Amino acid sequence: MNGSGYLELNGIASRYGATQVLKDIDLSIRAGEFVALLGSSGCGKTTLLRTLAGFVAPSSGSVHIGARDITHLPPDKRGMALVFQSYALWPHMTVDENIAYGLKLKGVPRTQIAAKVSAMRSLLGLDGLGGRKPQALSGGQRQRVALGRALVIDPEILLLDEPLSNLDARIRLTVRHELRALQQRLGITAIHVTHDREEAMVMADRIVILDAGRIAQQGRPEEVYNRPATPFVAAFMGAENLLALEGLVSGDRFVLAPGAIRATGSVSLDGRSLASGAVEARFRPEAARILSDADAAAPEEGLTFQGEVLAVTYPGGHWRHVVRAGAHEILADAPRACQPGERVSVHVGADALFLFNTAQPAAASLSRPSGAKTEA
Amino acid sequence: MPRRLLGLLLVLPALAVIALLFILPLVMSAVGAFQLDGGLGLGNFAKAFDLYLKDILFSVGIVSLSTVLIGLGAVAIGGYLTLGAHPVAVTILRWLYRWPMFIPFIVVGQILRTFLAKNGMMNNTAVSLGLMGPIDAMSFLDWRGIVIAFVWKQTPFVALLVAGAMASVNREGIEAAVNLGASRLRVLIEIIVPQVTATLAVGLILSFVTMMSVLSVPLMINAQSPTMLTADIAFRVNAYGDYGVANALGLISLVLASSVAWIYLKISLRERA
Repeated sequence: MNGSGYLELNGIASRYGATQVLKDIDLSIRAGEFVALLGSSGCGKTTLLRTLAGFVAPSSGSVHIGARDITHLPPDKRGMALVFQSYALWPHMTVDENIAYGLKLKGVPRTQIAAKVSAMRSLLGLDGLGGRKPQALSGGQRQRVALGRALVIDPEILLLDEPLSNLDARIRLTVRHELRALQQRLGITAIHVTHDREEAMVMADRIVILDAGRIAQQGRPEEVYNRPATPFVAAFMGAENLLALEGLVSGDRFVLAPGAIRATGSVSLDGRSLASGAVEARFRPEAARILSDADAAAPEEGLTFQGEVLAVTYPGGHWRHVVRAGAHEILADAPRACQPGERVSVHVGADALFLFNTAQPAAASLSRPSGAKTEA
Repeated sequence: MPRRLLGLLLVLPALAVIALLFILPLVMSAVGAFQLDGGLGLGNFAKAFDLYLKDILFSVGIVSLSTVLIGLGAVAIGGYLTLGAHPVAVTILRWLYRWPMFIPFIVVGQILRTFLAKNGMMNNTAVSLGLMGPIDAMSFLDWRGIVIAFVWKQTPFVALLVAGAMASVNREGIEAAVNLGASRLRVLIEIIVPQVTATLAVGLILSFVTMMSVLSVPLMINAQSPTMLTADIAFRVNAYGDYGVANALGLISLVLASSVAWIYLKISLRERA
C-alpha cells in the first residue's frame, strides 16, 4: 500500500490450526474513515477484526497505527474499542456500570466518570435508563449501551462486529443511519464487519470485500457495485444471474456468439482485458429487461437472449420472472407480468452486464481492474 | 377405577418409601428430642447446650471456615480453567482436580491422619528436606486437620459446578472486559464470579450440609474435645444409649443446616423479584 493511511495492515496472514483463514491482507485506512468489511460466513472478516483488536495474533504481517507498530500489543493498549455482535453487556451491572467500567479500569476519578457516563447517555438517547440492568432493555437500547461502553473511553478506532445483526429489520434501518451520523459527528475511524451488502453500502465510505481470506475488491460503494472485479464480487453484490457465453474480441468491442440461447449484442471493451473465448455473464434481475414483441429489434449494445418464462411472482414494485435460457435459469424483473410458458427476449444493458473470462476469472474482467487499488 | 385414583396408586410406592424411611424417622427423632422420662420438655436441649455448646460453636466455626476456603478454591480452579492461557496446564488441572470427589470421607480421614500426624509424611518430608528440625514437628490432627480434610474433599465438587457455570458465561463479555483493559484477576472477580454466584451458593450450601453430617473425619482426625456434633451424637448413642440428647443434638444440626438453605432461598427470591 502507499503508506499514507492512518491504520495500516501489511501482509496480514492468520491460520487456525491447519486452516489458512487470512492471506496477504494489505489495507490502508484513513483517519475518520468508515470502512465496511463485507463477506459471507467464514470468509475471515471477523478474524481480521479480531486480529486488529488483538484477540488473534497474525501468523505473519504487521499492523501499524501511524508510526506505531501494534502487531503484538495486548488488546487494551491499541486504542481500539470493540462492539460485539452479542453486545456482550455484563448482566450483573446496570447500564451506567456497564458504560463506566472502562473508565473505572483506567482509574478515572469517580466524579469524572459520572460526568462522562451521563454525557454518553445523553449522546445515545439512554437518559433515564442508567439504573436498569441489560435484561430490562430492548435490543436497540442494548446495542446503544454496548456502543456507549466502547465510545466512552475515547478510542482512536471503533471496531464493530456485526453490531446490527441481532436487531429487528425495521430498527436496523434506523440504527444504520444513527450509527453513521454518530461516527461522522465524532470523527472516529470505524471498521464495521457485516455480511449485509445493503448495510455496508449505506454506512461505509469504503467497502472491502473478502473472499476466502483475501481481499477480493475494495472501493467506494458505487464502484464495487457497478464495477465488480471478480465473478465472486459480482455475485455477492447481487448479480446472481449467470449465463455461460462465447465471444470474440473485434477491434475495441467484444462480440457475443449466439449459442443455444441465440444471444446477440456486443459491449465496448473500453480498455479492459477480455480475451476471445468462453465467458460468464453476470447481471442483476433488475438490470434485465423483458422485451415485448413490438421492440423485437434487439439493441446492438448489451446482451439480448431468448428464453421461456417458467414462473412469475410479485415481490413488490415489479413482477419477477424465472426465465429458462438454455441450461440456465435466470431472474428478470418487468413492470408487467408475462405468463408461464411464454417465449420472451431478455435484454441486459452494457453498463449492467459483467463479463468474465471463464478460464481465468479473477484476472480478466469487463470491469475496471484498477478497482482493487482504489484509495478513496 | 377413576383415572385420578390410578395415578395416585402409581406414585404410592414411592410416597410410601419416602414416608416410611425418611419422614417418619425424622419426625420420630424430632419428637424424641422433646421426650423426657416424665413426659415432654426441653430437658434434652438444656443438657445438650450444657454439655456441648462448645462443640456446637466448634462445628459451626469449622464448617464455616471450610466453606469459605472451599469457595475460594473452587473460584480459583474454575477461574483458571476458564481463563488459563496455558492449554497444557489447563488440561492437567482439568484432569487432576476431580479426583478427591471419588474418595470416601473415611478414606480421606485415613489418608490425612497418616499425612498430618506428628511423625506423619508431611513432617517427615519437611524434616528430610531440611526445612525444619525434628523438634519443631507438630501434629495437625486437631481442628486444622478437619478443615484440611473438608476442603480437600469438597473443593472439587464445588469447582465442578462453578467451572461448568463459568464455561457458559458469554465469552464475548470476557473479551469486552479484556478489550477495555481488565486484568485476568479483575475479569474473574468483577465479570465472571458475579455471574455465577447462584451456582457457587448452591455448591457451598450443599457442601455445608454435607460437612455438618460427616462423622468419619472428626472421629479419624480429632476425637478429643472439642469435636464436631456428629461425633457427640454417636457418642451419646453408643456409650450411653441416650437417644434423647442425641436427638436434640441432631435437631440442632438440622436447624443449623436449614438456616443456610433459608439464606440461599432468600437470595434467590430477591434475585427473581
